[in-house]
Amino acid sequence: MSTIDLRLQAVLDGERDAGDLPADLRETYVRLMAAAELLEAAPRLSVAARVMAEVRQLPAPAPLQNLGPMRRAVRWLSRPRAVTLRLRPVWTLALAAGLAAILLLPLQPPTSKPTPGASEGVANFVGHFPGARSVEVVGSFNNWTPGVLPLNDKHHDGVWHGTAVLPAGQHEYMFVVDGERWVADPLAGRYVDDGFGAGQQNSLLIVRPSTAEP
Amino acid sequence: MRLRLAVMLVLAAAPGLLAAQSGPSRLQGRVAPAALPTIDSIIAVAVAESLPTEPLVQKALEGSAKKIPPDRLVSGVLHGLAQLREAHALISQAVPGQPVPEGHVVSVAAALARGLPPPIVQRLVAMAPAEPPGPVLHAAADLVAHHFDPDSAAGLLIDAHTKGLRGVRLLDVATAADHELQRRGGRTHAEVLAHVRDMLPNVPGPKATVARP
Amino acid sequence: MNEDADVVARVLAGDGEAFGILIRRYEPGLLRFATRMLGNPDAAADAVAESLVRAYRHLAQCRDPSRLRSWLYRITGNRCRSHLARRHTNDIPLSEAPAPALAEESDTWEKLERSEQVALVERALATLPAEKREAFVLKHVEGMSYEEMAAITGARIPTLKMRVHRAREALLAALEEVVDEHN
Repeated sequence: MSTIDLRLQAVLDGERDAGDLPADLRETYVRLMAAAELLEAAPRLSVAARVMAEVRQLPAPAPLQNLGPMRRAVRWLSRPRAVTLRLRPVWTLALAAGLAAILLLPLQPPTSKPTPGASEGVANFVGHFPGARSVEVVGSFNNWTPGVLPLNDKHHDGVWHGTAVLPAGQHEYMFVVDGERWVADPLAGRYVDDGFGAGQQNSLLIVRPSTAEP
Repeated sequence: MRLRLAVMLVLAAAPGLLAAQSGPSRLQGRVAPAALPTIDSIIAVAVAESLPTEPLVQKALEGSAKKIPPDRLVSGVLHGLAQLREAHALISQAVPGQPVPEGHVVSVAAALARGLPPPIVQRLVAMAPAEPPGPVLHAAADLVAHHFDPDSAAGLLIDAHTKGLRGVRLLDVATAADHELQRRGGRTHAEVLAHVRDMLPNVPGPKATVARP
Repeated sequence: MNEDADVVARVLAGDGEAFGILIRRYEPGLLRFATRMLGNPDAAADAVAESLVRAYRHLAQCRDPSRLRSWLYRITGNRCRSHLARRHTNDIPLSEAPAPALAEESDTWEKLERSEQVALVERALATLPAEKREAFVLKHVEGMSYEEMAAITGARIPTLKMRVHRAREALLAALEEVVDEHN
């Protein structure tokens, strides 16, 4: 594949005037612009009726107090409970105690409150996946190991949730739906490209230490 | 082809490192055999350059869990190495003559990955070289993600630091700006930043992010 | 100036039908973008419909309604990527790439009918990896600034510039190939 002259790239980026180009570069310029123009034809399709029909069946997308299926989840977010797991990066455990008991430390009764240490905090995970058979969280806090932090759909309404005590700091993670579909957490608010070239983004979680000043 | 060339360039920069590795790799059994030797040698390069290796190990584990093909997996880990190098260089420039803590490198690489412009990262690292830069960099990246001007965002965070806010409290500055933006339609981003600046240091704390026993 | 924010406010205030205004405003561009990304109008229609429903459901979380367009493209772009990931490849399979309509008497680029030209360019575009395809389409088909592309893709501007540069080169090469094939 031949490279394109930087002067032409600058013109195509809108940084220089096309009139400055020598004739041979202008020919390439015209060809690329013609290709782009041909691609501008929009498909003669409309999804408006279909989308509106579906939207009319949904609750109004009002701010948090009226979020429909997410309502309970959001309220749940503000009231951490149901400690599922305590997770630490495998590498710290490996230093301390070998690789064995990494993942299920300690499994507490579902109603007990999380008790994070001074350099830990509680993370709540919520996702809306109607029809999913399983949803789990996989991330840097569990060495990207599937099968460690499953979420529950307690009310069978497609809202999956779980809680974990995590080391304070930054963690990247994704939801894995039905064991195969990797999905960014739509409520994460922070995202970072995963660097594998397909444009997929990891969700970013910042856990505050439980001793942090309010 | 280009990837193979990039790997060769990395390895050429650190001859003999592959042989220097000892003991079973943490990645063995998790990472495809086709990618493992190359990734091990990239990690060895990071060791030789005094860069943190944990982000690279995590990247390899992540890619394997996601079933990324070996060539793209190696490319992702190489990309991670490039980010760590860039972060190290940037900190060295921001705070010349000082040792560069690994934690700082990890935080700066994460900020660059989130798209924070390098000059802003440099300015914030230089603001308090002895403090872990993670929270302030995330706060800045949050503001930039919400389309605040990067320079003005950094200015606000530096003001917040001057007025005594430290660590994760700096994240609350970004949250306050975001809330102001949503609550008061019609105000420009600059007006919102000015309003938050007037609130300093009394920005609201987190409500639901921390459970207290 | 800020009409999107006004419409979003109406929807959030309970006027669900106002969402139709936003659909009409952005549907053509989103469908074009998704079609170019997926190489298949039906898959694109699904992706756009799902994205719009998702946007409606999460409208309260649109942090900056004045930049609704970027937010909608971002959701649609993610949906297209998921679709491509499910196919376990970033490339559009040749079976799904539009085949050029062969016109027996056409032997040069200039003589091809417009629809045939479109098909050839689509075919060339389909050979690009998804990332480059997206960069080229957002820049040159949707006519976006690098700033807006950064908001949509989450990538940094220098990265996007590099992707667009490489995409132009790859597209030129692919165009030569498909035109040669055609001839």
